[in-house]
Amino acid sequence: MSWLRNIASGLRSLFRRQQVDRELDEELGAYLEMAVAERMRNGLTHKEALRAVRLERGSLELTKEVVRSGGWESVVDTLWRDLLFAARMLRKSPGFTLVAILTLALGIGGNTAVFSVMNTVLLRYLPLPNPQQLVFLRLPNGPPDGLSTTGDDDRSFSYPVFEALRKEHAVFSDLMAYAPLAVDKVAVRTGEDPEEAEGDMVSGNFFSGLGVSFTRGRGFALEDETAHASVVVLSYSYWTTRFGRSPSAIGQTIYVKGVPFTVIGVTAQGFYGIEPASSTDFWIPLQNRPELNAWNEEGPLSNLYSNPKWWCIQLIGRLVPGVTESQALAKLDPDFQSAAHIGLGTPDPKAKKTILAFSSTQGIQGMRDAYQKPIQILLAMVGLVLAIACANVSMLLVARNATRAREFSVRMALGAGRGRLLRQMLTESFLLVGGGAALGWMFAISGSQALAAWSGMEIPFVLDSRVLLFTLAISISCAIVFGLAPLRSAVSVPVGVTLKTSNATAYRDQRSSWSGKVVVASQMALCLILLIGSGLLVRSLRNYQGLPVGLRVDGLLVFGTDPFSVHSDEEKEHFYQNLLARLRETPGVESATLVSHRLGSGWGWNSVWAIDGVKPQGPFSEIGMSANHIGPDFCHTLGIPILRGRDVADADARSAPKVVLVNETFAKRFFPKGDALGHSVGKKEPESRFTIVGVIGDSKYKRVDEKAKPTLYFPFAQNTPIPNMQVELRTQGNPEALIPSVHAVLHGLDPNLPIQKPLTQRAQFEESYSQARLFARLSIFFGVIAVLLVATGLYGTLAYRVDRRTSEIGVRMALGAQRGQVLWLILRESLLVSGAAIVAGVPVAIAGTRLMRSMLFGVQPGDMISFLLALFGVILVALAASIIPARRAMRVDPMVALRYE
Amino acid sequence: MPDKPSDLVQGTLDMLILKTLALEPMHGYGISVRIEQMSKGVFRLNAGSLFLAIQRLERDGLIDGEWKATENNRRARYYILTKKGRKRLDSETREWGRQAAAIARILEASEG
Repeated sequence: MSWLRNIASGLRSLFRRQQVDRELDEELGAYLEMAVAERMRNGLTHKEALRAVRLERGSLELTKEVVRSGGWESVVDTLWRDLLFAARMLRKSPGFTLVAILTLALGIGGNTAVFSVMNTVLLRYLPLPNPQQLVFLRLPNGPPDGLSTTGDDDRSFSYPVFEALRKEHAVFSDLMAYAPLAVDKVAVRTGEDPEEAEGDMVSGNFFSGLGVSFTRGRGFALEDETAHASVVVLSYSYWTTRFGRSPSAIGQTIYVKGVPFTVIGVTAQGFYGIEPASSTDFWIPLQNRPELNAWNEEGPLSNLYSNPKWWCIQLIGRLVPGVTESQALAKLDPDFQSAAHIGLGTPDPKAKKTILAFSSTQGIQGMRDAYQKPIQILLAMVGLVLAIACANVSMLLVARNATRAREFSVRMALGAGRGRLLRQMLTESFLLVGGGAALGWMFAISGSQALAAWSGMEIPFVLDSRVLLFTLAISISCAIVFGLAPLRSAVSVPVGVTLKTSNATAYRDQRSSWSGKVVVASQMALCLILLIGSGLLVRSLRNYQGLPVGLRVDGLLVFGTDPFSVHSDEEKEHFYQNLLARLRETPGVESATLVSHRLGSGWGWNSVWAIDGVKPQGPFSEIGMSANHIGPDFCHTLGIPILRGRDVADADARSAPKVVLVNETFAKRFFPKGDALGHSVGKKEPESRFTIVGVIGDSKYKRVDEKAKPTLYFPFAQNTPIPNMQVELRTQGNPEALIPSVHAVLHGLDPNLPIQKPLTQRAQFEESYSQARLFARLSIFFGVIAVLLVATGLYGTLAYRVDRRTSEIGVRMALGAQRGQVLWLILRESLLVSGAAIVAGVPVAIAGTRLMRSMLFGVQPGDMISFLLALFGVILVALAASIIPARRAMRVDPMVALRYE
Repeated sequence: MPDKPSDLVQGTLDMLILKTLALEPMHGYGISVRIEQMSKGVFRLNAGSLFLAIQRLERDGLIDGEWKATENNRRARYYILTKKGRKRLDSETREWGRQAAAIARILEASEG
């Protein structure tokens, strides 16, 4: 292996240089001595002999050089020397270096962070072996009619379908089933502390089929599924937060909704489950106990996951290598169709056909459509920031190299080739970019964490090898641009000119000042585009924030409860009455009420009702509208105005006459002339007839940006079965300060009960526009960086120009120019540059902002105010950046300036 | 007096060094003296090209070097041909013979 030998020998010369040099010295010494000795035998003196040898064989010093530079290691050595030299040059101007590295780090870090979001949401596969083979099973047409379905009805199947498809070994090497235990989280207790955690129940082959590896213990086996074993696997992050990564977690008991499970394994780090955009904390085998039904579904005992009419199971399959998706679907379809109709009788030939389809596991399931465009726009915005940053750094470099023109001229006069200078400048720029990229990577780590927190996603945005590659690619292109851009101006200076003139600034290249202005103008144009984009996003956010919600939002705390140990309506009513009574006595609580669908959570209850005295418009006898279960003092606690009638009271209990509140939209739509009070809404059964006792103001239900819909509010105990309720507390002080006392109250009622997702009502409503808020915050951040960069860039350029024109200004003033005229001379330059930027930037912005339409709320892409504000901002930045140089120019003393030359 | 020393044909130095070492292990100076003697003074080696070639051959694994005492009790680095070096010498010699013969034929033809 001669190349190995070559490398080893080269490394030896690099790292044991002294010894290698000594050996070479000794070898050449011996050579010289032998040569001289032979000449002396022929009768020459020592001195003559030395001279003869040198003439004949060449200088030994030169030989050493030749031998040293003969191997590959000499290239490394030169590079290393270049690097050291570059580092020394950069250390000499720490201000420049710091600014350049920080600027680059902001640009590179921002891009990396945003790209990490794109990577996670759109590009990345599940961190499992051969993820390309994995497919989610979907129902693009929805499930057949006549079933119980879940919120995810386009990807939920029945157990018979799973049983039929998992036998298709020619298609799937494994088909895994999973079902969430709740929409959000379920009550989990370890030791004394109840809390809520996200759990799935899964088939026995879930972990083995996906190829999940384990940090501790084992996954499930098929027997665990058939026996519905009481064992649980924890995720690495849950193991970390709950058990501090203690090995003794294995074998411990945790209670899921009060049912004991034994911990048997912990998954590997980086596996967050396969639920979209959320991280699963634990997994249990499929269970057939009513309290552990999928989706926290309550109801008759027969209605468990194996019921063919309860489509609650989600499926992910691993395709057999070599089977294409279309082949697989064709093979699966007959069995799927027959399994899908088990328990449903003969399918109606006129009904829509149920279709089986696959979706890729790349990115986050279901988020691709919603996020693709916004992420691309964010990436474009942060790309503009990087472009501005790059331009700044390259201008800094040009300016710096201009002041180093003498150094370059001297070096070229001493025989340094242009190639040598080029190499050195490239080394310097690689060093700068390397520093910027390293620092930027650190920014990106915290940046992507902040982005994950702001976007409300539970999974981290992973900085994996793809992101690293992206960062390296943009960094290297930056380095090459910087290295080359300043070179032209540096080496195109004729050596003679710079060396001859006493004043190093005397050589002025009209071209380079022109190109400097073009760079600044394009920077400002980019900044303008960015500011217009930010303005639109911020105005969208303000439009969301300004939406009236119809209630007093501040001073409200909302949290959820899941009293899983009480089952009958009687017990449940008692539980909630008891809970309200205790909460009302809690210090700090002004009033308390209940609501089944938390306001602003995005979830709601649509229901159909008949209204007495109102004819249905459609073919159905009942009218669809929104509905909610509420507790006593609902309007009083939330601050919703009562327009007619009364609020719900404690007396509106299960056994009391049935009543209902309606909102203003309901009253106006169905009783435009008369009075809604005293009418009733109901179903066919005579016992479900509710008398309207109050008309209350419209308030937002699912989201802040919804249109008002007719809405019914039922006293929670009167519309059975009683669902799980959310609690709303009104307080004078900080709502979140109530959380500990709420904990205590719940613990007093049942030690297994956690407090579910406590939030202020304001924060809850803000969730409806968390995406808009994220975009607005980011764009403000990008805008601020861009403005700072442009301001420093323009300031630098102008200051440099004023510096160079000092003598010109002196002459002008000596000839009678007024200070105002001098001021105008400088300001005019910066205004001209801004003008050019505006002329170039506005048309691009008009075209570009059209792409943002889907991200805007209540503003048009061509929004005048956003454009004007951005224009104003850019001109302000231009003026602010030129004030200091302009004042300096104004203060030039003609005498001093003229003596300068 | 022989003619002025001439430059080596490109790429032949390595072959000549290998050939010299095939006769017996030798130090750098010995190699240059031997080449000079065998070529009857036609080839005179510059120290720079000699040691550069030695470094190259050593890295390619064609020769091995070791420190030994000379007859005059001075330490010098002696080089010996490796197995690989001997193979290379054989192949290069054959190739050289072919090329030299071909060149000679061309030159004779043009004279005739």
